[in-house]
Amino acid sequence: MDVELIINGEEKTASIPPETTLLKLLREEFYLTGAKTGCDVGDCGACTVLVDGEAVNSCLMLAGQLQGRSVETIEGLANLEDFHPLQKNFEDLGSLQCGFCGPGMILSAKQLLEENPEPTKQEIQDAIAGNLCRCTGYTKIVEAVADAAKEMREEP
Amino acid sequence: MVDKVKVKERESTLEELREVNDDLRLPSVPEKVSFPIDVVTPEARTQTPAVGQRASRPDGRMHGLGQTKYIDDMSFPGMIYAKIKRAGVAKARIKKIDLSEAEKMPGVMATLIGSEIPVNSFGPSYQDQPIIADKLIYHAGDPVAAVAATTEQLAADALEKIKIEYEQLEPIFDPIEAMKESAPEVHPGQGNIYSSKIIQKGDVDKGFKDSYRTYENTFSTQMVEHVPMEPHASIAEWDANGRVIIHSSLGRITLGRADIARTLDMPINRIRVVATVVGGNFGGKNEITTEPILALLSRKTGRPVKGIYTREDEFMSSTTRHPFIMDYKTGVSEEGKIISRKVRLVCDGGAYCSWSETTLGKACILSAGPYNIENLYVEAYAVYTNKTMTGAMRGFGAPQVCFAYESHMDDIARDLDIDPLQIRRINAFHEGSASPTGQVLQSVVVKDSLDVAADRFGWEEWQK
Amino acid sequence: MIRKGKGIGCMWYPIGFTVAANPSAATVKVNEDGTATLLTGTVETGQGSLTVLGQIAAEELGISTEDVHVVSADTDATPMDTGAIASRTTYVTGNAIKLAAEKAKEILFEVAAPMLNVKPSQLEAADRKVQVKGFPQRFLPIDEVALQAQFVQGQPPIGSASYNPPTVDMDPETGQGKPFSTYVYATQIAEVEVDDETGDVNVTYMAAAHDCGTAINPMLVEGQIQGGISMGIGFALQEEMLFDEKGVQINPNLTNYIMPTSLDMPDIDVDIVENFDPTGPFGAKGVGEPTAVPTAAAICNAIYDAVGVRITSLPATAEKVLALIKEKNEKDIKQLSPAE
Repeated sequence: MDVELIINGEEKTASIPPETTLLKLLREEFYLTGAKTGCDVGDCGACTVLVDGEAVNSCLMLAGQLQGRSVETIEGLANLEDFHPLQKNFEDLGSLQCGFCGPGMILSAKQLLEENPEPTKQEIQDAIAGNLCRCTGYTKIVEAVADAAKEMREEP
Repeated sequence: MVDKVKVKERESTLEELREVNDDLRLPSVPEKVSFPIDVVTPEARTQTPAVGQRASRPDGRMHGLGQTKYIDDMSFPGMIYAKIKRAGVAKARIKKIDLSEAEKMPGVMATLIGSEIPVNSFGPSYQDQPIIADKLIYHAGDPVAAVAATTEQLAADALEKIKIEYEQLEPIFDPIEAMKESAPEVHPGQGNIYSSKIIQKGDVDKGFKDSYRTYENTFSTQMVEHVPMEPHASIAEWDANGRVIIHSSLGRITLGRADIARTLDMPINRIRVVATVVGGNFGGKNEITTEPILALLSRKTGRPVKGIYTREDEFMSSTTRHPFIMDYKTGVSEEGKIISRKVRLVCDGGAYCSWSETTLGKACILSAGPYNIENLYVEAYAVYTNKTMTGAMRGFGAPQVCFAYESHMDDIARDLDIDPLQIRRINAFHEGSASPTGQVLQSVVVKDSLDVAADRFGWEEWQK
Repeated sequence: MIRKGKGIGCMWYPIGFTVAANPSAATVKVNEDGTATLLTGTVETGQGSLTVLGQIAAEELGISTEDVHVVSADTDATPMDTGAIASRTTYVTGNAIKLAAEKAKEILFEVAAPMLNVKPSQLEAADRKVQVKGFPQRFLPIDEVALQAQFVQGQPPIGSASYNPPTVDMDPETGQGKPFSTYVYATQIAEVEVDDETGDVNVTYMAAAHDCGTAINPMLVEGQIQGGISMGIGFALQEEMLFDEKGVQINPNLTNYIMPTSLDMPDIDVDIVENFDPTGPFGAKGVGEPTAVPTAAAICNAIYDAVGVRITSLPATAEKVLALIKEKNEKDIKQLSPAE
């Protein structure tokens, strides 16, 4: 089947078998390997991307459901001007260790900050509760999201 | 001399290339990703002296941008995919493996069974683990066959077509039961107790007699998985010169290479192991898993072969943290000073030794805790059972014994009505203390760590 | 009702393998512009080891972390290393790197000495300069020295070295010996809330004071400690591989194998206990594994403090804690009622 969608602001088409998940579409058709396969059943959140601004587990979504919709992956977050404040703060605080959960974590946080520019610690923890991390204990991740929120409020 | 005209021409050509209508692009053209032209270096990285700086990690930026390439993010021309069939029975004899249906499936390029592996055993202490089980099954996660196919899905489908006949044998799961002479042997011909350690210092019996009170308790811990977010992953490519390049998520490439060379019966210099950034290790990626299988499948097919563990593979077939059963007996003075301690540790080693030898040794040495104890006797046993093998995991037996000796310590403190912080201060190692093995300890800061943590916590002031 | 408790977990942990040789080798090359390339066979598995190892090389050469590029984890190209195991990387690989950098530095000093009219032993490397000890105004920029070494003197500044922690065999009957070169020490103190009606345990605060010798990179040490605590919480309260009566695992997935999420994490205060180990690179030891060691003990002692029940088998799931509370309540009632 054919699917037309927007990935990181660019219109894309692909011919794929109907059972193809969004994760496979991104990784295998478009070589966007930022979204990771951690469990392939929606438990770990390593494959998180934004679909029309909503964080989803791309391993649970069929590519066919994406017709005409807009997908944002971690690769779409950095541009020629600057890194996203989340990426900058994650780097500065050493928030990621092995980094495998990072792209999903950052995209879940991005959705949060777009909806809630001034989140509490609890709200940040809630927003990333579906993204498992084994290395960091989440502490520096939560701090980096809070710092990024502050930075984005000060310099919108 | 730079010919400016030519450079300009070249730039315009590139411009034209970039303007190619996107619709005409093949779907498999890699994405163009843009990054900042001026990369700002965080201050802590530019300072001298370097030690003590909160320097950010160069790989941290890559992680945040999704640029880090883990094994599963890599692909090579012509690459095919391998999947592993697992036993699903805890103890059995393999009577027959029928691969014919699987091999007939379209897209299936090759299969592999244990008898095709030149030296089908490995392990860091004892070589008691097969790469693919060929005669006996020792635990339910044992690999029994592998398939390489043009897609992951086809390889997974082909596994379903493999028919295996087993003769069920009597398994044993409880380590204490497995220690009995009458217990069925996990590895026939070898006793189930495959490693034992003793530490002896002073005279424990006299110590108990001299004690004001003695305390006894038994503690146990469970089997735990490392759960690295990146499952085990490797890609093997056999070349025409008979060299094999293995990209792997191994955390120990030199010893991994030696194991691969041994199992493939090849000189070490014909094997190149390249590790990328590993997506979490915690001790679970210190041993080879599928590397020799992928190498042989690559030799058979002439293709690069990728093998990625599913999350289920990760649980069923990678190493785990040892369950421990720990008996403690401790004699103390009226003031709470430990006079004598006797410890018995039994660690459930699962189906293979793996790092049990080391785990047992460390647990044994550490089991007394960071405390001065004149009279100490520790005996420890590692026991085979028909469960997933246990191996290295962050702490090598230390979290288990720490749970026991610290729980025990609090029970003693409460009974003697001594503050838990105080009883630890009374017994803690100091600079120059002799360890349970008689080693004179240096740079010892047990008391400092107690004081710093207690101050930070507000131990004295804290109220319920 | 929610009951609060506090509990201590204190521990010691060795660095490196038990007695067995676990060497690391390293090569440090100083490039002609004064930057350096470091070759190591260890693998970055998330801890930040390559950053720390780069910092060690930089410190020895008197340059910045940014000036060092680390090449790792290729058996064809990098020297032997026992690998990312046994909390040994900072200590063992770090020592090898320090020794290798020292050798490269000696070449720089030999070249710089006549240029500065002093003996090589009178020189030190700091702030990207080779300078005279006690007289830092007299210096040469390191790039000038490196260029001179390579292209004028024909002596590329490169050093290779290896390190293996010294140990003494353990007696097989008594276990007496020196199995490790050095150890680290730590204390974690937990505050928990236990719901005595459900048995649910919530870790609300954790103070962690860890010794790692010199903290080469305090930010990465904190990251290790916070991560170790999360693994310790999973070990204490949640995680368990379960098997059916046939020995087949019944929860081989992250749906039914419960590990800590962001919601399970307490506030954590980390203190790095000041210490210096003379045998470590710049006084450093290690920190990876020990961070996960005392957490479960601290939590279980805090549970005892909160509700008076002793957890003797992990994990302390809500069901287990509740059962113990009920058992204790029944016992307490029996003790109150008159003997029959």
